[in-house]
Amino acid sequence: MLFSEFALWCEKIEELASRLEMRDLIAELLPGLTAEDLPIFVRFIRGLIFPDWSSAHLGIGPNLLYDAVAYVAGRKRNDVISLVNRTGDAGTAVEFLLKEKTQTSLFAEELTLGDVYATFIRMADTAGSKSQKEKLRNARLLYSNASPLEGRYLTRLMLEELRIGVGEGSVRDAIAVAFSVSPDSVNRAHQVMNDLGEVAKIASIDPDALLNVKIEPFRPVKMMLAQAGSIEEMVAVSGEVCAEYKYDGSRFQFHSSGGRIAIYSRRLEDLTAALPDIADQLKEAVSGDVILDGEVVAIENGKPMPFQTVLRRIRRKHDVSAHVDQIRMVPFVFDILYRDGVGLIDLSLSERRIHLESVMSGYIAPQIKSENPDELREFYHAALQEGHEGIMLKVPGSPYIPGNRGKHWVKCKPEVETIDLAVIGGEWGEGRRAHHFGSFLLACQDDQGTLHPVSRVATGINDEMLGILYDLFKDRVISTTGKEVVFEPGIIFEVGYSEIQKSQNYASGYALRFPRFIRIRDDKRMDEIEMLAQIQERYLRSGHPQDSGMQQEKEQ
Amino acid sequence: MLKATIDADTFRELIDAISALVGECRLHVSESGIATRAVDTSNVAMISLELDAAAFQTYSATQTEIGLDIAKMKNILGMVGKNDPIDLELDAEGRKLSVSFKSYRYSISLLDTKTIRKDPNPPTLNLPAVVKVTGEVLNNAIKAASVVSDKIAFKIDPTKPAFTMIAEGDTDNIKLELGKDEIEFVQVAEARSLFSLDYLKDMGKVIGRSNLIEIQLGIDHPVQFLFTIAQDSGRVTYLLAPRIEAD
Repeated sequence: MLFSEFALWCEKIEELASRLEMRDLIAELLPGLTAEDLPIFVRFIRGLIFPDWSSAHLGIGPNLLYDAVAYVAGRKRNDVISLVNRTGDAGTAVEFLLKEKTQTSLFAEELTLGDVYATFIRMADTAGSKSQKEKLRNARLLYSNASPLEGRYLTRLMLEELRIGVGEGSVRDAIAVAFSVSPDSVNRAHQVMNDLGEVAKIASIDPDALLNVKIEPFRPVKMMLAQAGSIEEMVAVSGEVCAEYKYDGSRFQFHSSGGRIAIYSRRLEDLTAALPDIADQLKEAVSGDVILDGEVVAIENGKPMPFQTVLRRIRRKHDVSAHVDQIRMVPFVFDILYRDGVGLIDLSLSERRIHLESVMSGYIAPQIKSENPDELREFYHAALQEGHEGIMLKVPGSPYIPGNRGKHWVKCKPEVETIDLAVIGGEWGEGRRAHHFGSFLLACQDDQGTLHPVSRVATGINDEMLGILYDLFKDRVISTTGKEVVFEPGIIFEVGYSEIQKSQNYASGYALRFPRFIRIRDDKRMDEIEMLAQIQERYLRSGHPQDSGMQQEKEQ
Repeated sequence: MLKATIDADTFRELIDAISALVGECRLHVSESGIATRAVDTSNVAMISLELDAAAFQTYSATQTEIGLDIAKMKNILGMVGKNDPIDLELDAEGRKLSVSFKSYRYSISLLDTKTIRKDPNPPTLNLPAVVKVTGEVLNNAIKAASVVSDKIAFKIDPTKPAFTMIAEGDTDNIKLELGKDEIEFVQVAEARSLFSLDYLKDMGKVIGRSNLIEIQLGIDHPVQFLFTIAQDSGRVTYLLAPRIEAD
């Protein structure tokens, strides 16, 4: 498929209002694609470049793109920036600049979907001192061959926000419709393969093969997640439950096969190099090829340290060995997903536990089984006493469902109202905060992955953090209007609040009361931020009447 | 295979001519000399270059293709004295080029030619107007124009005949008109095209050293500059796409 055709379809989808129409349009397109183009199309249409399991990323910021466009369009970088500021969307600005381009070129090669993807791979692959120059060169090459409309979507793809409103659900359903398979089998295959692109390809070749896809080493799957709940509810519903400590550490997935090992974060980034001690400990303790799920905890003087300590270690890219001794990192493994060529995720938790205990010596997270709420409460208090966050309750007969946050796993911890939101903008600070970003605009997502602002946060940020945040965001600035700054989304804040209110000030329709910054959640992926529906649920749960007054006001 | 000796000035001319447009290139080596053709990353300017074996003090080679990091070569040349002879030798696997002068011996990793853009096919052009001018005159005109604008128009009026270069800025403009006394009109035809000075400035530094430049022009067409290097044993062609301004 030519990239120009892809751009035309994006434009068409952008104009569609209903999810059903989007699904149907995508479903119509999929069968016409070649086996090479299909996975690329399926990812691109969601604004993704690489498979979900891959830790590859382009590693370019808006500024590099502006430089590339300025060069190709024969403009100054500041012209580009001021136009982005005026339009508020880098894609639209690039489209305009390419339309106004007065410099002709000697040749123009028509870009195909495959060309664009191959260029993105080259960009992601370059590392080292010259990598920015190399990435710039590749970006120029793309823009010099792009029509204005192609430029719009190339830009948004490279900034990983396509803004056409196609979410994972729409693509999943489109694959099901296109190849006459059930959405459930697409969903299951996606959980196992963690790449809708590859799933679409399999569905197109042999729909039956979707049922046989297998979990594979070094293709991390999303981690199974837990809902908040209580001991009483869980026992009432499930009877006997398995209980484990809830560690305040960092979740990891350990893969080992044929002598090679890898450790992935919750966001499925490869952390092997940052955690050599964990790698060594687990390598020593495990026999055979495995995929394990667990939590890394930092221990100092026998006490677990807060989550931040673990993250600081993980973020450290240099001098890793010098810091290994200062804080002891200990893995606690609580699940096994794969053993010696066989996927175990469809087995029950109890069966998986037997496998886990037979491949590992040590580092297994202690577990009790009980249907007695008193006993579980005692376990809960012991967990808090020892400095852990709380406990996890799991249904013994439940399978491992990658990425699922369901009733099979429940977390019990002391109530704190916090919420994970994407940072989409900010404001330059004043006074003591001059030359820093003083407040941040936060957003939740809807089920299409579209971001909706919910609040601003400015409190709870100390001077050191202010500096860290400035460094983090300065290269993510897409546009600036006065003191307002728009950031390339990708950084997630955990914020505390006292209450959720309805509000017309933010597009989500809600606002946080007394929001305060708690920490950066760099272990979370963008698709894991709070959903709009969850905010609504929180709002209702806190005793607000389910009125539609606000809705009506809005419509008037 | 390549084993050759070249004097520093000639080598510098070669590298400068290429580096005006690209940071890396695919160099074709043969028994009769070396050649390259490369386009800048935005497909606006192209260089074709041939350097005969005669330009080297000693030269022996068999047909091969190497990927050269031009920016790196330029850095190395900073170390070379004006008249130092430079020995070039390609290793057996064709992955490294040794560059020796005085007591220095550099071993330079070559680029994988697969990662460099394929040789572009030169576009077929019909450029009816041809003039010859000294490199210095052209380069001075480019430098003068850069002061007031970011673009320059090249014009040929067949009636006089005259070759005019006009740069119009926001507030100032510059016009340089050359007649029969200053330049040679090889083929007279009407021509008018506008070019970006960004590219011309880089080309001008190279062109300025040349005695005589042939300029080929058309109406809203690319411009082609032809000149020789290395005492006429090397030939360079620069091609630059025009800017088209909507009125």
